[in-house]
Amino acid sequence: MTVGKDVSSLFTDVVNCMQTENLELKKLVYLYLINYAKSQPDLAILAVNTFVKDSQDPNPLIRALAVRTMGCIRVDKITEYLCDPLQRCLKDDDPYVRKTAAICVAKLYDINAELVEDRGFLESLKDLISDNNPMVVANAVAALAEIQENSSRPIFEITSHTLSKLLTALNECTEWGQVFILDALSKYKAADAREAENIVERVTPRLQHANCAVVLSAVKMILQQMELITSTDVVRNLCKKMAPPLVTLLSAEPEIQYVALRNINLIVQRRPTILAHEIKVFFCKYNDPIYVKMEKLEIMIKLASDRNIDQVLLEFKEYATEVDVDFVRKAVRAIGRCAIKLERAAERCISVLLELIKIKVNYVVQEAIIVIKDIFRRYPNTYESIIATLCESLDTLDEPEAKASMIWIIGEYAERIDNADELLESFLEGFPEEPPQVQLQLLTATVKLFLKKPTEGPQQMIQVVLNNATVETDNPDLRDRAYIYWRLLSTDPEAAKDVVLAEKPVITDDSNQLDPSLLDELLANIATLSSVYHKPPDAFVTRVKTTVQRTEDDDYPDGSESAESSAHVGDVITSPQASSSSVPAAARQADPAPAPAPVPDLLGDLMGLDNNAIVPVDQPSEPAGPPLPVLLPASTGQGLQISAQLIRRDGQIFYSLLFENNSPVALDGFMIQFNKNSFGLAAAGPLQVPQMQPGTSAGTLLPMVLFQNLSTGPPNALLQVAVKNSQQPVWYFNDKISLLAFFTEDGKMERANFLETWRSLPDSNEVSKDFPGAVVSNVETILDRMAASNLFFIAKRKHANQDVFYFSAKIPRGIPFLIELTLVVGVPGVKCAIKTPSPEMAPLFFEALETILKS
Amino acid sequence: MISQFFVLSQRGDNIVFRDYRGEVQKGSTETFFRKVKFWKEDGQEEAQAPPVFNVDGVNYFHVKVAGLLFVATTRVNVSPSLVLELLQRIARVIKDYLGVLSEDSLRKNFVLVYELLDEVIDFGYVQTTSTEVLKSYIFNEPIAVDAARLPPLGPAAIFMQGSKRMPGTAVTKSVIANEPAGRKREEIFVDIIEKISVTFSSSGYILTSEIDGTIQMKSYLSGNPEIRVALNEELNIGRGGRSLYDYRSSSGSGAVTLDDCNFHESVRLDSFDMDRTLTLVPPDGEFPVMNYRMTQEFRPPFRVNALIEEAGNLKAEVIIKVRAEFSSSITANTIVVQMPLPKYTSRATFELEPGAVGQAADFREVSKKLEWSLKKIVGGSENTLRAKLTFSQESHGNITKESGPVSMTFTIPMYNASGLQVKYLQIAKKSSSYNPYRWVRYVTQANSYVARL
Repeated sequence: MTVGKDVSSLFTDVVNCMQTENLELKKLVYLYLINYAKSQPDLAILAVNTFVKDSQDPNPLIRALAVRTMGCIRVDKITEYLCDPLQRCLKDDDPYVRKTAAICVAKLYDINAELVEDRGFLESLKDLISDNNPMVVANAVAALAEIQENSSRPIFEITSHTLSKLLTALNECTEWGQVFILDALSKYKAADAREAENIVERVTPRLQHANCAVVLSAVKMILQQMELITSTDVVRNLCKKMAPPLVTLLSAEPEIQYVALRNINLIVQRRPTILAHEIKVFFCKYNDPIYVKMEKLEIMIKLASDRNIDQVLLEFKEYATEVDVDFVRKAVRAIGRCAIKLERAAERCISVLLELIKIKVNYVVQEAIIVIKDIFRRYPNTYESIIATLCESLDTLDEPEAKASMIWIIGEYAERIDNADELLESFLEGFPEEPPQVQLQLLTATVKLFLKKPTEGPQQMIQVVLNNATVETDNPDLRDRAYIYWRLLSTDPEAAKDVVLAEKPVITDDSNQLDPSLLDELLANIATLSSVYHKPPDAFVTRVKTTVQRTEDDDYPDGSESAESSAHVGDVITSPQASSSSVPAAARQADPAPAPAPVPDLLGDLMGLDNNAIVPVDQPSEPAGPPLPVLLPASTGQGLQISAQLIRRDGQIFYSLLFENNSPVALDGFMIQFNKNSFGLAAAGPLQVPQMQPGTSAGTLLPMVLFQNLSTGPPNALLQVAVKNSQQPVWYFNDKISLLAFFTEDGKMERANFLETWRSLPDSNEVSKDFPGAVVSNVETILDRMAASNLFFIAKRKHANQDVFYFSAKIPRGIPFLIELTLVVGVPGVKCAIKTPSPEMAPLFFEALETILKS
Repeated sequence: MISQFFVLSQRGDNIVFRDYRGEVQKGSTETFFRKVKFWKEDGQEEAQAPPVFNVDGVNYFHVKVAGLLFVATTRVNVSPSLVLELLQRIARVIKDYLGVLSEDSLRKNFVLVYELLDEVIDFGYVQTTSTEVLKSYIFNEPIAVDAARLPPLGPAAIFMQGSKRMPGTAVTKSVIANEPAGRKREEIFVDIIEKISVTFSSSGYILTSEIDGTIQMKSYLSGNPEIRVALNEELNIGRGGRSLYDYRSSSGSGAVTLDDCNFHESVRLDSFDMDRTLTLVPPDGEFPVMNYRMTQEFRPPFRVNALIEEAGNLKAEVIIKVRAEFSSSITANTIVVQMPLPKYTSRATFELEPGAVGQAADFREVSKKLEWSLKKIVGGSENTLRAKLTFSQESHGNITKESGPVSMTFTIPMYNASGLQVKYLQIAKKSSSYNPYRWVRYVTQANSYVARL
């Protein structure tokens, strides 16, 4: 059984042994039942009697064992009989039975939530919070926390009363119980600074615990309460208290160290002072596993300051001569990042880099050149004297990023490099074979050279390059850029100078690269997986809702291969932008894995929404309603026409695509990739399009996930898509993101809540817009249409001759929109005012609204 | 909470597998093993898989213990430190019960192991990992495997390497099983295990030094008597706000200053602030009484000097000197000194000191490393290794930069670098004839002991 052999045929024989007095044997029989009851549901009923009898056995171990096992058997007939024994066991005299029963309520909730609520188990569970046995309390808390997570109703809310009870229980609990309780309490918001201080005071002793999980959960709790504490003395004191335990985590096993380091990385971004004096403990040990070393480097950069930079540089220099190539590269890059971060240390950093270049180890040189390019951008006109040294290494460069960086340097400083034209010319020969990144840099550098030294040589070069980059290439980015230069140069060379040689904005240190709102979210999730991946929980939590039937394991196809190759398309799209080292290292570290297999129930709860039914993705269903907008006309796509639109169905966002093959060949191997965008939209699975014979069309619904590849900057509607198939080049096209697909089903607010939210938001968060052309001739239809798009009607009132309507809506991450529509039925002109915590979303919202009003 | 727990052998064989929630498909063991075995990221060559990663929405946690992979899976946003710590503890509990932790012992005792797993975790939630608490719920008895054939495990295992200090079977016997004679031997082991990290600069200065210590206890006393452990009286906790850079001032007086320490939950600290004693009723099984960390300056047990010099065309010479700076009554054993050589080194010949016993030097062709192993080093002695290198190409002019740093591993029994001591170990028991065996053992091991060139 345990080695994977199917022994379910012995079911009846095994059940016969169940009534044994021998506890060892009984346990084995129960283990067998857990494994096979599901495959033999009819026979499982044979066991019920014994279970019920055992649940009243004088021996508490047997009572607990019976309830524990019954809860693990997901067979309706067994579940029916579980309720009465469970009720008894929740009130049992023996704490071992009670604690087992507490967990069993969570099991039952997982099987049948209604039953738990109807039979009043939740109330019994809440009573157990006041139990005198700490084990029971801990399990009750764990069970309630899980039930709450899977329910939309408030079941387990921590009041100041439960808080003090749990804090008391904390002291007596086992280490694991302490973690359950601390994690549950971390959701509690203290009323004021004084309460926060009280909580912290009672949690602080946990920092001395030998169990790392307890320490980290306590740290999380303290950090959270610290946000409320106003007294700087108290905060400083707390920081002092937290530092030693945090450092001690680094003495644990490397696996724990890794988790600790990922968390510390977040903590120092918010509170750099905590570990400001501890930089030495982050120095790498030679026997640290590579994943620990990489994280330590990251933190060393974050803690580097003018005071310790000499020490830090000495370390980096040492690492840069180690054996592990990845580690060496990262160390070299770290030196560059310190130079960019600390102006006063830049010169020392550069001299270290130059020393490293002199060792002439190929990958060190390349990495150094990449960072030096960034240093030039950070401190223009300061360190150009070293260019000559860099040029010596020109021949050894073979990596695209290093090559592109070197070419950029030559172009940027063409006037100071005597033989700049010769140097560039040496690259031109291989132009068609270069990767796009290098081609783009070569193009720009040649134009710069020409503008700076408009002599004959450069003029010839520019013609070669422009020809290569327009006629000979398939790459639209390169072609577009080349055409722009060409036209600029041919119409107005002076204007070209202004554009091409314009002063560049100075770049800044990117070592604190996390977006503040993301950092907030991650800090709230310290001591969870989220803080290790540096991703918000909704980006990777895929736990299936209890209502969804589980499929057998054979139904999980291996989607990883196609996901990998579609990621390759993404490289092509992003590489031109990613020429500087702007990709956050943290994002790279965290494996971009959560591209779940294209099975409906796996995708079920990606966004944490309620979805009652799920559209099967592998069944291409023709989208109903108006035809999809054409995004790639057949004329551009060599006969392939693509129409697409984001839609929302059953609580999930899909990209509805229609492919029409007007080309003479059959097309197959379709893949899709989305560029970074304001909502981080990305495909949740591979694109499923069958082979398309000429003249046929195929539609598909591609499930989408959010917050996967976020672009920075203010939100905009641009969605860049690349589609590829095995027969044609990659097609790029733009789509517009419509918020209509984002309004979630849970956006309805109660009136009181609406009013309160409206009042609590400052007036600066109110944005309004007129739609002079829009006419509402029938109120009912517009309300229906709004409701269909998850804009929920709240109330209506009359103001003079106008009707004022109020709606509420919500987009993922729980951002609410409060909407006020003012209009006169049948008269053109609708005024809309909205209030939202994210007013920057307003333009997108109005666009969505306009679609509804005009449709 | 976790969904599944499993133990895989190094070859990926499934030794133990328990599904607690049925949320993760069964193929997870293979998915996991493939991912760990061929971990790749950003197109980098073979890297080591981090202990936590996500594949297709399933989160995998793993730790390696005794050559086995202990793995847990989950779909929810759990506390990773909880899961990793739990995996370590499960390994410890199983070891407590089976005496030895190995593929063989797990397979022989699978009934007991599953019984344990059912009590340790329920529906994915940890219930207890205390060997003591578990004892009242566990009914199967361990089947002993032949410990002698198996490689010893854990830091305490070094006590069994032939030294006659204590009975060799003690640390590999199950806490549950009785002695064949039917009577348990009354004894208690207290091990002070210190792992030291030192980095020497090229000129021999100490750049960083750190001690990670543990006081480990394993009790075979019947009736669970109360135990008092007294530590140094002059023991300070916390560097008291002094910065890292001036800790020198505190050394020399014999006082021990720990940066931080933490204690097992069974330890009562009522009188710790007064007289530095710990009171506890030791639970069954091996457990750390106290973990501590120290950066106060200490005298490193070894001084390492290494030199690489060009000696003519395509040739160079390496000299490594190791001086043992501890008392001559103490002997370090299993010493290995390693030094990466320039990539283009093609051959190396060695010259050991005349009369050197139990020493060997080797050039590892693949990793281009020099490896010098010494069976033992007696305190106060100095050992030297000379090597002549032949290069396949001309160096770029700075061979010092292309070789090193020298790293060293060693074990020194009955030596501790921090100065932390167990002054006495008091076992409370009425009867005057009761006098159980008390073993207090010190051992120091190298963690990251590095000398730069």
